[in-house]
Amino acid sequence: MNRYFYYGFLYVALINIMLFVPNILLQNRYTGSISSMALAIPAGTLLALLFASSITKFPGKAIPEIMYEHHPRWLVSPVLWMMAIVYFLGSVIVLVAFSVVINRFYNPDTSSAVVLYLLIAASVYYSTRSTLSLLFILEMMIIINAPLIFFVLGKALFSSSFNWDAIRTVANYIRVRPNIESFAAATYIFSGYLNMSMVNRALPPNFRLKYRWLIPLIGTIALLSSVFIPIGFHGTEGVEEYLFVWSVTADSMKMEYGFIERVLFLYLILYLNLTLLFTTFGWHQAMEFIKSTFKSHTPKLDEDKTTRSNWIIGIAFAVITALYSLAVNEKLNFNIAAVWLIVRLFVELLAVVWLFILSYKQVRRTRTKRKEGNEE
Amino acid sequence: MINRILTLFADSKDLITKRMKNDDTYMEIAYIDSLCDESKISEGIFVPFSRNKKPFHDIVQFSSEFKPVHEMTEWSSSLLRGYVLIYIHSKYYSYDASRIIRVESQTTQVESSIQGPQIALTEDLKDGLNLIRNRYPEPSLSVEERTIGTVTKTRIALLFDSRRVNSKVLANVRSKLLEVNMETLHSAGELVKYLSGNRKHLFPTMLITERPDRISNNLAKGKIVLLIHGSMFGIILPVTFFDFMNSMDDRYESYWMSHALMIMRYISVFLTITLPALYIAIVSYNPELFRVQLAFSIAGSRSAVPYPSFVEVLVMLFMIEMLVEASVRLPRYIGSTGTTVGGLILGQAAQQAGLVSSIMIIVTSVVAITNFVIPNNAMSIAIRFMKYPLIVLAIFYGITGVVIGMFSYCVYLGSLRSFGVPYFRLPGKLIPSEEGDLGQVSSS
Repeated sequence: MNRYFYYGFLYVALINIMLFVPNILLQNRYTGSISSMALAIPAGTLLALLFASSITKFPGKAIPEIMYEHHPRWLVSPVLWMMAIVYFLGSVIVLVAFSVVINRFYNPDTSSAVVLYLLIAASVYYSTRSTLSLLFILEMMIIINAPLIFFVLGKALFSSSFNWDAIRTVANYIRVRPNIESFAAATYIFSGYLNMSMVNRALPPNFRLKYRWLIPLIGTIALLSSVFIPIGFHGTEGVEEYLFVWSVTADSMKMEYGFIERVLFLYLILYLNLTLLFTTFGWHQAMEFIKSTFKSHTPKLDEDKTTRSNWIIGIAFAVITALYSLAVNEKLNFNIAAVWLIVRLFVELLAVVWLFILSYKQVRRTRTKRKEGNEE
Repeated sequence: MINRILTLFADSKDLITKRMKNDDTYMEIAYIDSLCDESKISEGIFVPFSRNKKPFHDIVQFSSEFKPVHEMTEWSSSLLRGYVLIYIHSKYYSYDASRIIRVESQTTQVESSIQGPQIALTEDLKDGLNLIRNRYPEPSLSVEERTIGTVTKTRIALLFDSRRVNSKVLANVRSKLLEVNMETLHSAGELVKYLSGNRKHLFPTMLITERPDRISNNLAKGKIVLLIHGSMFGIILPVTFFDFMNSMDDRYESYWMSHALMIMRYISVFLTITLPALYIAIVSYNPELFRVQLAFSIAGSRSAVPYPSFVEVLVMLFMIEMLVEASVRLPRYIGSTGTTVGGLILGQAAQQAGLVSSIMIIVTSVVAITNFVIPNNAMSIAIRFMKYPLIVLAIFYGITGVVIGMFSYCVYLGSLRSFGVPYFRLPGKLIPSEEGDLGQVSSS
């Protein structure tokens, strides 16, 4: 069942473009982003491995169940609410950003709000499904979209107008001291492991994470390609000029054969799917976190019927997202994303360390129990 | 006995009642003439009774053909199934003399196969069981019989391999069968509708088949089969989406070819669902998606068409649906006329008159042909419907709408369950050594 972990890891690593990670890193390309990236790769891998190995000590339990077991309600509930808000806000940023992208590159005639409302409605429907269903959907969507990912990536790397010199020039700034903004943005690539906090409910009891080398590998490829491919196309200075730098990058590629000429459209289809997937999981996890703070709630992996609380929370999410889109313009959304990335880093750190301590205690307790049993 | 039976039944001419007496015994019999085989009755009852070589009472007692009837409530139901009721020595017996009219031809009609077995299930429950038992000679094959329908009292058989069946699914099916509350039951489709509950399903969650080889294969996979007396089709459950895309020929042909065909089928499904919607989205919203030459030729072929692309698509799809519907319902002799006329109109005249573009004609025919590739009829109809919501989304949102629509279909499929078994999950494991499965902890 390792593949479900890596599916979750993969789509989060890819969605970084919609969270303005490349923009933040590119803005700081002379002022420390390269060294931050170099630092982020081991740091992100370490966090992911710590979290994955700690949570497998609690088979079949999600974060809320684990925390409620060890700590009083008044301490845990606010933390869970905070995590729910972080998850939810991340999806909102992505949704609003992507609705603008669609408006700019797909349907310039319609307003981005109209597209956003459709996206919101779809996300409400998706995120209210049961956790188990969402896992099947995750697998399906990754398998359907994987060819597109490889195609766009390969197309970029083997393009004749790809300028390796520019990449080398920027890469030489590795000696500049790292800064927190870039570091937070770069570690985001690795934060797909947080999906485990809910998905762990579904994983089998004998689960052990295998193929751990995939984590740094996927993360490094995703991180390097999302930053350096735009530099390769637009040059060291030109990259700074676009807000949706990757859409423009995709539009610089051309397919010589076949019906479709512009890679942009494939890229947009791919990212539409990824955005929906990200929002689905973000909202679903936020929903589960919020539901777990209710006293009467018992966690369920696969309900027969969508519960009313799911619908109510989903619709509340929809309304908040719509209001957010009214209040926030592109520039502000970008700034919020930058802040969100930093806040997320600390929330993640908190979650990982907390869980690690709990799992350490758990292991020690079972060990002493076993010892006592042996002595008796 | 006779007086009681006469009060039970309405005044009907084919209800025969007789009081008979030979040298030593007195007997009353009753049967419904139209349901019974007269020769069977005279062979089994009248001749031995009148000859009286052996006391008839002994024959009735020892022969397995005569079954004792204990309850008065069974009288009418056994009479209505073509049994003869006998009253002798103050005991009641029933004797099977039923005559069933059924289609004799036993070759497959709906799911034809080129080199596979050609035999199909029959309308008689016993013959159907015979076919399956012959193909699945395992002692663990369990057969349960029930009747469904307060009026028709249709007999159905529940078959499963008791060693391989998933007990959870079996319990689920049994409880659902108990809940079925209907007056008449004539076909497998009716039962399927009832079993899947009152929710309005888009996709079939049970597979209706007429092939005993398919049934035997599925029994070996631990699935449950329902046979219905009077219907040529059996029901297989639980099934996944991917079972519907399999034809039996895939198992009988070479590996690479059958897998290539399978991939082709999935591509066809994708085309038949999205093509009309994509046509609208591309022509009306994003003509720049195509390379320039192609965009020009599409625009050129549309130059004579006076209305927007979605009107064109709706007109053509309406025509093709009518054509398909007409050729299904028409008798075979007129059927070819219908397709010729329809084909001429669709292919030539409509385009020359400038009502639709020539590209649209290609789109329409691709949509129709790719839809026929789907091997299962129920799935084919479900997929035939799926293009319309996408067209609506394409009209308002262009390509974005189509992609969101496809995603929604995937989510809908993913959240479907067929008797508790996930419907849209990849079969098998990616890595053979993998242990465990999703959802083990919470479900146990």
